[in-house]
Amino acid sequence: MSVLTMTAAVIVTFNRSDKLMKVLDALAAQTRRPDVVIVVDNASTDDTPERVAARAAADPSIRHLRLPRNVGGAGGFHAGMKAAYQLGAQFFWISDDDAYPNPDALEALHDALSGFEADTGWRPSFACSRVEWIDGTLCEMNCPRPVWDWARFVQPGRAWALVDSASFVSVMIPRWALTEHGLPIADYFIWFDDAEYTRRIARSYPGIFVPESVVVHDTPDNRGVNFGLIDEKSLWKFRYGARNETSWRRREMGLVGVLAYAYGVRRQMKQGHVPGRMRREIYRAILKGLGFRPAIERF
Amino acid sequence: MSGSAIDHLSAGIAEARAIYERLFPDRTLHFVLSQGHDPMSAHPRVIEGTHVPAPQDLGADYLGTVTRPGTGPNAPEVTIRLAIPRAPNPAEQKQTDAPWRPMRGLGRLFRISPMAYERVRYGAEMLRKRRAERVNDHRALPLGRGWDAIARPEAPETGQRPAILIGMHWLEVGGAEKLGFDTVNWALEAGLRVFVVASVPALQRLAGRLPDHPDVTFIRLDRYLPHHLWPRFVERLALAENIRAIHIHHCTPLYESLPMVRARLPWITVIDSTHIVEHANGGYPRISGVWSNYLDVQHVISGELVRYMRDRFHAAPDRVRLGRMLDREDQPRALPPLRLEAGQKTLHATFIGRLYYQKRPVVVVETLRALAAWAKGAGVAFTATMVGEGPFEQTVTALLRRYGLSSVVTVLPGNADIPALLGRSDILLLPSSNEGLALVCYEAVQHGCIPISTRVGSQDEVLPDDLLVPMEPRAAVRGTVRAVDRLWRDAAFLARQKEGLHAAFERLRADPTAKEVLMPLYRRIAESGA
Repeated sequence: MSVLTMTAAVIVTFNRSDKLMKVLDALAAQTRRPDVVIVVDNASTDDTPERVAARAAADPSIRHLRLPRNVGGAGGFHAGMKAAYQLGAQFFWISDDDAYPNPDALEALHDALSGFEADTGWRPSFACSRVEWIDGTLCEMNCPRPVWDWARFVQPGRAWALVDSASFVSVMIPRWALTEHGLPIADYFIWFDDAEYTRRIARSYPGIFVPESVVVHDTPDNRGVNFGLIDEKSLWKFRYGARNETSWRRREMGLVGVLAYAYGVRRQMKQGHVPGRMRREIYRAILKGLGFRPAIERF
Repeated sequence: MSGSAIDHLSAGIAEARAIYERLFPDRTLHFVLSQGHDPMSAHPRVIEGTHVPAPQDLGADYLGTVTRPGTGPNAPEVTIRLAIPRAPNPAEQKQTDAPWRPMRGLGRLFRISPMAYERVRYGAEMLRKRRAERVNDHRALPLGRGWDAIARPEAPETGQRPAILIGMHWLEVGGAEKLGFDTVNWALEAGLRVFVVASVPALQRLAGRLPDHPDVTFIRLDRYLPHHLWPRFVERLALAENIRAIHIHHCTPLYESLPMVRARLPWITVIDSTHIVEHANGGYPRISGVWSNYLDVQHVISGELVRYMRDRFHAAPDRVRLGRMLDREDQPRALPPLRLEAGQKTLHATFIGRLYYQKRPVVVVETLRALAAWAKGAGVAFTATMVGEGPFEQTVTALLRRYGLSSVVTVLPGNADIPALLGRSDILLLPSSNEGLALVCYEAVQHGCIPISTRVGSQDEVLPDDLLVPMEPRAAVRGTVRAVDRLWRDAAFLARQKEGLHAAFERLRADPTAKEVLMPLYRRIAESGA
């Protein structure tokens, strides 16, 4: 466990200044405040720049990283983590602009990372929070994926299950993981960038799910990522998701992995009675993903 | 912040400071400390003279700079950059080497035919061996006796009891390391204070085996001191601690310290112990041979090495001493009968060794596969055990599964009960690409088990001719099966081999042991330096 604790919060935002201010309020109220808060502004066109600048004037820990164009969540996290790495951060707390951490959320993640290593000798590649929706139920889209032996070190009072995939909603990543595995893939633009990245860093050692660290994800509705739920409004995101996951599966599992994925997507769309036009769009995205091989940027 | 992390860092900083404060007692020392990501080495960098910190000295993992003032305001400065090693994780504690993979470009060949791959590797190794004969120098460095008119330095009066510096390759599992640990105990028994150092940065997992005794000190030079500074450290240590002898066990930087020892510390007796001539470059015996004029005693464990030192390096006969790695106190007066009987209905074969290429674990698995096929044809119930850990673990497991041997071959970790296992084994397999004189062959015979080995190193001193097989991989497999078949079918042949093994063992037993060679030396040093 590191004796150096400089922590950078990386928040990616786009045209949601009200929610972003609530996130910054929540960070200011943390029992263990981050040393730096990097607000990655994806070229917002609302009043985000002014409101962040006003905040930064009062709180020197806030850094406004305004990008010249909208590079999506993936590009934003990539840019923010790169900037935080160059600032010398030892821990990177990554989250969305609509997720409000409870006052002890960051402290709990820190304690779990150091406590787990002290107890077991293993260095988790990340620690992720329990993400709840605004009504207190589990947020469907932010449920981490356990590994087969997730219960190996789970004990009363230290219920840290081993996971190998988590979303970029309140996840704490130690510096060594970035040094060894590089940055998230900016070219993904949106969706699956978090799953790809956490699975990549979890090759060194899985991450841990820290239920005592809680964040509230203020999304319009509480829906998981299921291709049966595609509608006109969300189709573009699903297209990115299908392309990105296909690309990842091709890289990690080869064509058999892609075929298995395509079969699962087809089944979900069939069960969700997704119209044929939208299904074809998704299949096209899967085909596109076969030839999509973005580079991984390393330090 | 966990207390263990703070303790770990604090202990590392204290260890490093002690080394440099001894090395530079009067200079101003600036320790530029950072948090390391390597569990084994601090990647030390030492800059003598004034040094202005640069960005590469600090960085995100920078912990701080500790300054130890020199003896005066004009004391020269030394800057020491150290990345304090992190604690190893449980997997690293078990095994620090990455799992073995076939050489680049040959992965497909290995998947198709592991033996074809082994053949290619064997060919490359033999090529290297032939080239090494041409390239490497086999001449001893000359050293004059000096002119009597120039006074030789004399040992200063320190008030300390005499001490020995024992330099090891590392404190990990190995035959040379076993002797290293034995010499620590013998030196202590002789009344010497003992300082131990290791040349290769490692977790030094066997450090706990050093005697827990106030006269034994393990100095972590491997972690914190660059090799080029070892001679200066050795000089400081020798002068301060009344070091009267240096014993080198495969420790390169101590060989490199020898010119300084001979020039400034001529009262120190230097001993080295060597075990195995490496194919690629001659290994430590060649290094020892090159330095032989700087050594007082060259202890070797086999007759082959005695000849190597005398014939290749013209080392003085009285300087080269044969001392077998046998423990006379542990040996039974009469050897037990060797267990294998002709025509018996069961056969248990065993392999014991670290799972590194030198032991050729892939050839072991292929041999077991061939023996299983032979046993089926002969109507013998065949079982086997493989003991060892190392980078080949995954490969061995995968091959055993691929050949359907998982239920026939038991794989045990390195801490298995070896005497008990040898006590129920009929055959010991040792198809290594290289050996000195394998200790495990002694042990096998002592426990009634017949060893079959490749004809490498000094194995012909412990095994009769018919139990030695060629080194070429396919020939090694075929030769082993042929030997087992003949032992099993031909009672007269079996009796001859048993007789030959016992005779060879008795011949070895008649030779002096390492302890018998080294203890009188240690005692003399302890008495003369008192």
